[in-house]
Amino acid sequence: MASLSAPQQAARADQTLARNMKLLAHNDLSGFGGMGEGISMQVAAGGRRILWLAHESAPKNFTGVDVTDPKSPRMIVQTELPHAKVRSNSLDVVGDILAVAYQTQVPGMKPAGVDLFDVSTPETPKLISHFDCSGPYSRGVHAVWFVDGKYVHMASGAPDFQPRNPLDDQFYRILDVSNPSKPVEAGRWWYPGTREGDAEPAPQRLVSRFDTGFRAHNTNVFPQRPDRAYIGYIDGGAFVLDIADMSNIKVKSHWNHSPPFNGFIHTLLPLFERNLWVVSDECVQDGGADWPKLVWMIDSRNEANPVPIGTFPAAPYDAFAKRGGRFGAHNMHENLPGPASFRSDTIIVGTFFNAGVRVYDTTNPYQVEEIAYYVPGAPPLSPAGAIQLNDVFVDEKQIVYTVDRFGGGLYVLEMNI
Amino acid sequence: MASGRDPLAGKLPVTLITGFLGAGKTTLISKLVRHPDMNRVAVVINEIGEIGIDHDLVTLSSENISLLANGCICCTVRTDLQETLRELFNLRRAGLMADFDRVIVETTGMADPAPVVQTMVSDTLLQAQFRLDGVVTLVDAVNGAYLLEHQPEAGKQVALADRVLITKGDLASAEQIASLEATIHAINQQTDIRHVRMGEIAPSELIGLGLGSARANDSTLRFLGESLDAGAAEGERYLGARTTRHDPRIGTLSLRFDAPFTWDTFSAALQLLTNLRGPDMLRVKGIVNVEGKPVVVQGVQHIFHPPVTLDRWPSEDHGTRLVFITRAISADSIRGLFQAVGAITTPA
Repeated sequence: MASLSAPQQAARADQTLARNMKLLAHNDLSGFGGMGEGISMQVAAGGRRILWLAHESAPKNFTGVDVTDPKSPRMIVQTELPHAKVRSNSLDVVGDILAVAYQTQVPGMKPAGVDLFDVSTPETPKLISHFDCSGPYSRGVHAVWFVDGKYVHMASGAPDFQPRNPLDDQFYRILDVSNPSKPVEAGRWWYPGTREGDAEPAPQRLVSRFDTGFRAHNTNVFPQRPDRAYIGYIDGGAFVLDIADMSNIKVKSHWNHSPPFNGFIHTLLPLFERNLWVVSDECVQDGGADWPKLVWMIDSRNEANPVPIGTFPAAPYDAFAKRGGRFGAHNMHENLPGPASFRSDTIIVGTFFNAGVRVYDTTNPYQVEEIAYYVPGAPPLSPAGAIQLNDVFVDEKQIVYTVDRFGGGLYVLEMNI
Repeated sequence: MASGRDPLAGKLPVTLITGFLGAGKTTLISKLVRHPDMNRVAVVINEIGEIGIDHDLVTLSSENISLLANGCICCTVRTDLQETLRELFNLRRAGLMADFDRVIVETTGMADPAPVVQTMVSDTLLQAQFRLDGVVTLVDAVNGAYLLEHQPEAGKQVALADRVLITKGDLASAEQIASLEATIHAINQQTDIRHVRMGEIAPSELIGLGLGSARANDSTLRFLGESLDAGAAEGERYLGARTTRHDPRIGTLSLRFDAPFTWDTFSAALQLLTNLRGPDMLRVKGIVNVEGKPVVVQGVQHIFHPPVTLDRWPSEDHGTRLVFITRAISADSIRGLFQAVGAITTPA
């Protein structure tokens, strides 16, 4: 095969790369465009469509953007955190109630927990209640899943939970918020052996440079299976839990690729009609140091024996590993049950930090096909020197909303698939 | 939850520019690559020296790929077009070259465009990642008529053209041009003829000629051609007496079938036709009623693009309508063949 030598300047991080995706709009969110991993869409009174966005770090708490016209997103509210050592990295909205997670930099600080806001007037969110998860060993809540209006499923510490290793402070907790002014804990589960006093031995940790913790990350429960929780438990792997009795949660499935892989399982997305799971890792080191961070396809026909059958085709290492910042898998659009969410058992959309947002067709689960991507050029003054797309939400009109981890803010994209 | 994917939407459109030596391809390409609307377009050319872009280069990047100040990428063919298109896709996919959304290919002057079209359909990578958007053929107003008479490839270039650009019109008389247009339409009744002066053309005139989506819309009808409009006459089309200078056996046939086909019947009939007369079937294009569903077919000689099932009929007319450009095959014989195959595949 003839090889064409490539123009070297073309791989620069300031260059936008696109395949079958078109930028409809970009909004830097008034200069506070370092966004976390919470994107949720509210269909408010009069059909207004409000995109709620969590921030990666202080000073901002959360931001509301009116995307009724996705070509001209308009920021309508941006709230402040009480201090700089807390972050609200995750949120979800159901109806007019917004749940926001609070995680502190070190254990013992406040606020560490969950806020519920009334956003019936999106411009002026009103606090309904705060559920405190702070404690001497707790950093509070990293991620929330709130889709049914009744339960918040979350990765959280607790005042009464002392982990054997400080990296293992956040476990799976269920809050009953059916009375939003008075949330109460409805259930909890942690990786056996991670809590001080557990009868089980402490789990074998990954080598120190990849030891990121045996703790919960995404804790998803879908209306198709209200008796199952789909959990990414970071270095602990992927779990499916039987939560039919929330006071007595049982493990139904467990799968982990690490070791030999480098840990950090982030999301378990079940494709219910096909008996498949899509499991994403999270890249947490710059410059490809923890490569490969992948998205995995798992055959889940036998709940007791999940079998990996492939990985999604990853963006090329040579083009991205040294492009700046992190390179690898992170959040996926999670087929949320809400009225404004895209749902597909075949099309999967994910963010890959400096490799942008990517769209896959999983019709053949053994040979997943990449069908679209958009890699924005580096945002101005980005400390990573490259885009770091952190999270993605796809609405029912297949408009893709994705956010940068540092400064880039919100990118609204159209798929041509 | 079906994927609902449009099999054509994600493919990179490719326009082929053909035309005999002296038809003005180099002049057109050298102006085209500098056009401000050429950002994110890759142009595959035979010889970069000919178009003199040295002053417009951002950098002289490599032997055969150059990025111009307007964002246009110029790529010289090193071995063959097949490898060049494969490499362009791979380099772009790897983020190792500037991004592009479409490709325009300058074919060599003597080229019969049919093998190029066939390559795009038969190479698995090219077929998966690219789609032929259209063939644009340049015809020189002064020498075009002579070439159409004496060079079979010139006739094929016109037969396969979605659009014909007549160049050097300022050097020919009005009668010469009218006669040339009639000759072109006698070969390819559906093609759209435009005039270009000194290679001045907007990129938009070279694109959007093919079927870009399986979702039926106005452009689907445009792609299928005016002759599919209600009221269009059926049969062989010969436009006047001035058309005898080209090979008179080449012409456009329009056929209509009102009864739906099964895919087996339709494809068997087409297969038989291409087996027997492939070299004389210069081009086939149309919409087929396959058990009620609209299926777009197009082919060049014995090679067919993958059939595309549209999401709905693009108009009220649900009949099968096919346009053939053939050499010495009559409409009646094609119709007879389809009817015979239909009869034999339907149990009595």
